[in-house]
Amino acid sequence: MAVAQDTASGDHVKVRWLAPDTFGPGEETIGFYFEVDPGWHVYWRNAGDSGAAPRFDFAGASGELGDIQWPSPVRLPIEHLTNLGYEGDVAYLFSATPKASRMEIVVNLEWLVCKVDCIPGYGNMTLSRPVADAAQWQPVEKALRDRFAAQVPVPATRDNFPWIVSNVAAATDGDSLQLVLEAGAAEGAAAPAVFPLDGGLLTAKAPQVEESGDTLRYTFQRVPGAVLTPTTGFVVSDGEGAWQLDDIEIQAAATSAPTANPTPADSGQPLWLLVLAAIAGGAILNLMPCVFPVLSIKLFGLVGPEGEAAGRLKEGLRYAAGVLVTFAALGALLLVLRAGGAAIGWGFQLQSAPVVLGLILLFWVMALSFSGLYEFGHHLMNLAGNSRGGSFVTGVLAVFVAAPCTGPFMGAALGAATLLPAYGAMAIFLGLGIGLALPFVLLCAFPALLNRLPAPGPWMETLRQFLAFPLYATVIWLLWVLGRLLGDSGWLIGTLLMLVVVFAFWLGRHQFRGSRWIAWGLVAAALLMSFGAANSLQQSGRESGSVPVASEQSWQPYNRNAINQALARKQPVFIDYTAAWCITCQVNKKLVLDTEEVEALFRANDVYLVRADWTDQNPDITRALGELGRNSVPVYVWYAAGESEPILLPQILQVDMIEALFDDE
Amino acid sequence: MTTQGMSGKRSFRSFLGGIAMFALPALAMSAAVPGEKAPDFSEVDAAGETRSLKDYAGQWLVLEWFNKDCPYVKKHYGSGNMQALQKKYAEQDINWLTVISSAKGKQGYLEPSQALEVAKSHNLSASAPFLLDADGSMGRAYGAKTTPHMFIINPQGEVVYAGAIDDNDSANPAVIPKSANYVAAALDASLAGEAIKTASSRAYGCSVKY
Repeated sequence: MAVAQDTASGDHVKVRWLAPDTFGPGEETIGFYFEVDPGWHVYWRNAGDSGAAPRFDFAGASGELGDIQWPSPVRLPIEHLTNLGYEGDVAYLFSATPKASRMEIVVNLEWLVCKVDCIPGYGNMTLSRPVADAAQWQPVEKALRDRFAAQVPVPATRDNFPWIVSNVAAATDGDSLQLVLEAGAAEGAAAPAVFPLDGGLLTAKAPQVEESGDTLRYTFQRVPGAVLTPTTGFVVSDGEGAWQLDDIEIQAAATSAPTANPTPADSGQPLWLLVLAAIAGGAILNLMPCVFPVLSIKLFGLVGPEGEAAGRLKEGLRYAAGVLVTFAALGALLLVLRAGGAAIGWGFQLQSAPVVLGLILLFWVMALSFSGLYEFGHHLMNLAGNSRGGSFVTGVLAVFVAAPCTGPFMGAALGAATLLPAYGAMAIFLGLGIGLALPFVLLCAFPALLNRLPAPGPWMETLRQFLAFPLYATVIWLLWVLGRLLGDSGWLIGTLLMLVVVFAFWLGRHQFRGSRWIAWGLVAAALLMSFGAANSLQQSGRESGSVPVASEQSWQPYNRNAINQALARKQPVFIDYTAAWCITCQVNKKLVLDTEEVEALFRANDVYLVRADWTDQNPDITRALGELGRNSVPVYVWYAAGESEPILLPQILQVDMIEALFDDE
Repeated sequence: MTTQGMSGKRSFRSFLGGIAMFALPALAMSAAVPGEKAPDFSEVDAAGETRSLKDYAGQWLVLEWFNKDCPYVKKHYGSGNMQALQKKYAEQDINWLTVISSAKGKQGYLEPSQALEVAKSHNLSASAPFLLDADGSMGRAYGAKTTPHMFIINPQGEVVYAGAIDDNDSANPAVIPKSANYVAAALDASLAGEAIKTASSRAYGCSVKY
């Protein structure tokens, strides 16, 4: 036996095997044990500012060998430089699975050992050990192996990594890169050491660490002039355990315009087809629960005693004008925002707490008047039904509430609108408007249809009162949205405002002295306070970055890095882009995603489930949607195991569509 | 609304950053960064002649950090790789300066007479005998971390490459034929009027002994 080749040595370094006396039939972790003179060091896989990692060139083996496993390093400041490596002794490990009666390995080694000066070393080593039923280690050797095995970073997963990677960002013109960790399970623990895997991108110098609350901000220096890579990796070590973060996406620190990166499904479609899709989408919006209450007001006006056949077409056209002007205005606003580089998407008007509060107030007052509480409602209704502005205003209102109810066709059209040139985007917006207005205009243009409606009479009062209920339902829905935006305070603010408004109506009806003034004063104060509170709550919520995400069982909040990690370990991923104000999303959730059947399917196939909640204006999710060529929800994204190309599912989900995902495999 | 707030915060931070930069003493180690103007230098070479950046205005210039006792320098000089590069590009009118930044008493330090001998024994084909930067001023201005550490400066006086000589950080000269030489690639691309593919890399080698 060539005992002499069991070891290798050079200046200040002795290398020997860490291996069992007898291998078992299965996989065994073995390694090279480097004993290094005091004061001298050898290197990690990223050696840092100078130096070089050792090389293990396997010339042959009677079995399968794994990659070298590098124990997590320490920083070694050497004069003006920082190296990453090990002082004293270290073991570089790898896995070996015998495929013969003896485990034979032949390896060429090269290493660099440095103090301030560096000395390279070379050696050849062979291993030859018998294979038996079970591995037999010298206890000391096994303990040594285990000691270093414990320092080898494990791939960080949601379950084993005590922190949460919230962001890796680099300023495009800067020379630094920031890694932000949130204390998850590691609450209260000291800041761990973080080492960059890519020495070409980041210098080895210890990052500057800022700690605020649960947030740890590591600022690394970039290698001057190094081109930013799309992703990078780190090893995180808390002194006991170590974790590896691979392929963490680097984001530009500056908020830039959403990248024009449409999915293949959207690219290359002619504009007319997109406009046609927009018209169809707009027409379907009429059937959506968000639009129905508004249309009901208008319909009520049309069948009222004042509704004359001749005037109806005019009414219909005014309504259409209201719809189109509003769509044009929203389209223009979106284009201006897009040009300004704001990462913003469709439905944004319902992401603002004050706007939601305003809608609650509007629908509450209308509902109360429909119920007959107050004559004002009657005036409003007459206004909506009679005056020239009335139909127009109804049209405006219809668009405003219809927007977030993205129906089929609408997603693709709107997504394209953010990417198309301005005229194309505007054409799509107007297409949506035409679609929304069309059924109503048709109803007006063909009085025969209207004539079939019953003649005015006392039933109208009943109908009016009945139509209040969809409005109440809308108020409840909007309150829920407000609650999602602001937390529990949202409910309180909304309901208190409603209470004050009803009280003010009551005061106003009782004509004692000054009651009207008190009523107006109360309403004014309530408006001021509630809108102020809603606005400041939302602002502070955004600044602290605490987006309340209801964690429902297996669904994870949106985290780009967690998703990339799941993809990297070949786990299938399902992402539900949703929002509280999106009715289609809620319906899909109720009828499909949250059913026991589908949940069992997901569980059985170990799917990584992500609920990307866009209720608040989360810029990360806006960006992710932009990359999919969408800027509205719902969007359902499916990555099959081991696939990096997403499949987009239809916006109206059915259980068999989810089942089909797993049949294909 | 929110976007404005964010950009406001950001500009405030960069404003603070700007103040911090002015307030910092100028002794912070600067560096030669690809895409930026090359730092000025003025050093005396082993023959006693002063060499400055402005002497090479309008010309291509390669800077190489040297330490005769560093295994990585030995790798590239022992194999003749570095001299071949120096010769090849000198023939194409590209200037090449080899710099010793080792401080007196540290590894690699050479008196002028010794430096002339080493230049001869190493068959140095640079445009001048070693530049002797014993006070480390030039090395620090360039942020030279290792020997060898390579910089390429274009005729406009901008750094176009900074980093390692090639992509293989082994100390073994046997790997040289299989390695991709970053300096040669950058110079060849530049002379052909093409873009430089790799403008920056992790310099490998021994630390510069300031």
